[in-house]
Amino acid sequence: MKLRLGLIAGLSAGLLATTALADIKVGFIGSLSSDTGLSTLRGAQIAIDELNDAGGVMGQQVSMVTADTGEDVIEGVKAFEYLAESAEVDFIISGSIDDVSLGWMPRMQEYQIPTLDTWTSYIGIIDMVIEDPEVMAPYFMNIASDEALATLYINFGAEVLKAKMGFESVVILAEDTAFGQAITGLVTDALAPVAGIDVADVIVYDIGTVDFAPIFSKAQNSGADFIYQVSSVNSQVISSQYVKLQVPMAMTGVNVSALGMEYWEDTGGAGGGISTLSPVPSVGFPLDPVSQGFVDTYQSKYDTRPMIPHFNGFNAYHGLKQAMAAAEAAGGFSDVAAWNAEMLKQDLILEKDGQLWLRYGFWQHGEVEEVTGRTYPQNARFDLTSPYEDAQPSMVVIQWKEDGTVGVVYPFEYASTEFELPSWVK
Amino acid sequence: MPEFVERGTLRTMIQACYLAIFAMSWDVLSGRTGYISFGHPFLIGIGAYSTAILSKKFGVPPEYSIPLAIVITMFGGLVVLLPALRIKGSYFALVTLAFMELMYQLVQVIRPDLTGGTRGITGIKSLTRGAEAGYELAVTLMLGVALGLWLLMRTRFGTALWAIGMDEDSVRGSGLSTTRLKTMAFLVSALVAGLGGAYYAHYTGSLAPRALFDIDFLFTIIVAALIGGAGTIIGPMFGAFFLIFLLEWLRPILPGAERYFVYGGVALILYMYQPKGLVAIAQSLRDRVRGDNYDHRA
Repeated sequence: MKLRLGLIAGLSAGLLATTALADIKVGFIGSLSSDTGLSTLRGAQIAIDELNDAGGVMGQQVSMVTADTGEDVIEGVKAFEYLAESAEVDFIISGSIDDVSLGWMPRMQEYQIPTLDTWTSYIGIIDMVIEDPEVMAPYFMNIASDEALATLYINFGAEVLKAKMGFESVVILAEDTAFGQAITGLVTDALAPVAGIDVADVIVYDIGTVDFAPIFSKAQNSGADFIYQVSSVNSQVISSQYVKLQVPMAMTGVNVSALGMEYWEDTGGAGGGISTLSPVPSVGFPLDPVSQGFVDTYQSKYDTRPMIPHFNGFNAYHGLKQAMAAAEAAGGFSDVAAWNAEMLKQDLILEKDGQLWLRYGFWQHGEVEEVTGRTYPQNARFDLTSPYEDAQPSMVVIQWKEDGTVGVVYPFEYASTEFELPSWVK
Repeated sequence: MPEFVERGTLRTMIQACYLAIFAMSWDVLSGRTGYISFGHPFLIGIGAYSTAILSKKFGVPPEYSIPLAIVITMFGGLVVLLPALRIKGSYFALVTLAFMELMYQLVQVIRPDLTGGTRGITGIKSLTRGAEAGYELAVTLMLGVALGLWLLMRTRFGTALWAIGMDEDSVRGSGLSTTRLKTMAFLVSALVAGLGGAYYAHYTGSLAPRALFDIDFLFTIIVAALIGGAGTIIGPMFGAFFLIFLLEWLRPILPGAERYFVYGGVALILYMYQPKGLVAIAQSLRDRVRGDNYDHRA
């Protein structure tokens, strides 16, 4: 009798606990073994913990289910299916890379599950939103699209690389991924006409490349003044070989490994002189008190890499809270149109020393950005014009120095150090 | 079946059905004749890309783009891979592997406006909506392919393919044209690969060169055929379902890459225990239940 009562009590308690814990399910889709994926996962988890500590959302606790993509496109499709059909999540937060997001996009359109992408920046997805806003209503991207990143980078090209350094031509070294193709296209189409820098050559390399000596030789033979690298996978390899080989040309561009504090260790201290475009916040980027609070919580909770979350970790932290606030206002996630309308209203302004520092909001449908003259509905709000009073710049350029320090070199309003050539290039 | 299982399970079964089609396609050529192809994703990719380009870029309805894709796969594969049939053993495997790598590079640089370059193609028209319809289509395709291959393998052609696998010189000595037989086997293999690839493209709705022309994808196909039971029809199906369900069942317990270690370990142990695969294990169990003493282990 006692045993039966105990079992009933135990089962009831377990059932109640499960019900209470799993009222709102958040699905994480991304790589569980990359700094990028872990940044989003942990940022989302901290937001969930804080929401639950504050009483939950709509009186319900929030829980998280993870689905690993391994940064593989087909695994990404399977992961989305798992979250939608097996785990039956209410909302998905993504730390997927561009290729993977594009892979699961048809599934998102089919299931109509509200989804926030924190890393993928492909402008083509925003074009999908413009073309079919109803089907794409569940989708939000809270990183500035790659077109916005490249547009501001062109200004860096004109104001620093061309005007200050006197560079006239560039050779692009791009990895063979969707991200590599996108950034290469944007730089090729805009760098020459706007910044007045000629593209001497474009060299595409496999992401599994381990010996970059022949590639750097080819880059030198192009006669260009500097190298623009586009690297999101195994980026520390190209960086460290650039330093070890003492390639006699400046190298800048996009290097995802340089966005984390582990970069210096990953390159064995051979990472100095590398500069990279980075969405904000990044390493070397001074933080406002709220973002600093998030980093403090992060570091007290996690003692494995990445020691400081990449920008997408911040996006996940703030974005998840905004998605939940939108759900509260819309009465849940099931009415996608209502949730979309409330999500578009989300606008978090973070100040530092009394001035706007970071803004987590979204471009509205039909709202035209002045510099590019186009719309970016459901994309993170950004500002492409100095002094950046409407929002933060779409990107900053950071540079790792040869002593292992890192700082922002552009835009000047956010700069903490100056752009300089590596010692062997000077 | 859709009435009895959850939608998530149906999605897993759909993936398993397509993997079974790919594994059966590989097995027709490699499992029977012993010519190990490492270039199978090349054929699947031609089928997938052909229908995707025809339907997405040229507006050809899938009812025409899919048959066309199959023909293109058979033709394209024949032109490129037929010379490879003149070489044997590891050289054949390496040449076919080179074709897969070549295709990976080509789709990125030749007419990226059509292939989508490294980004691939998204928004490929879906033939079904929802898990149930997708399941019904996938299982019909898989069973149709299995039945077709089963009937084909019961003919003298099927017997000749087996014979090639055992002793090609003897087959040639008996007056049969082994080149013609291998070409036929290759065409059948390409037909099934093209069919599977084309329908798979419409199922996933997106394609990327990194997903198709990939060594992991190739090994998944081969492992499915081998641990299921190469040289049989039901073996690759067993293997495909076993692998896909193993990975999906492990997902909630081991959400990260650890599940692939388990998957690899299980596949290795199974293969070491019974190289003839799950089919032979099932037969052995059946015989034991019946009281037969025949040992199916190789």
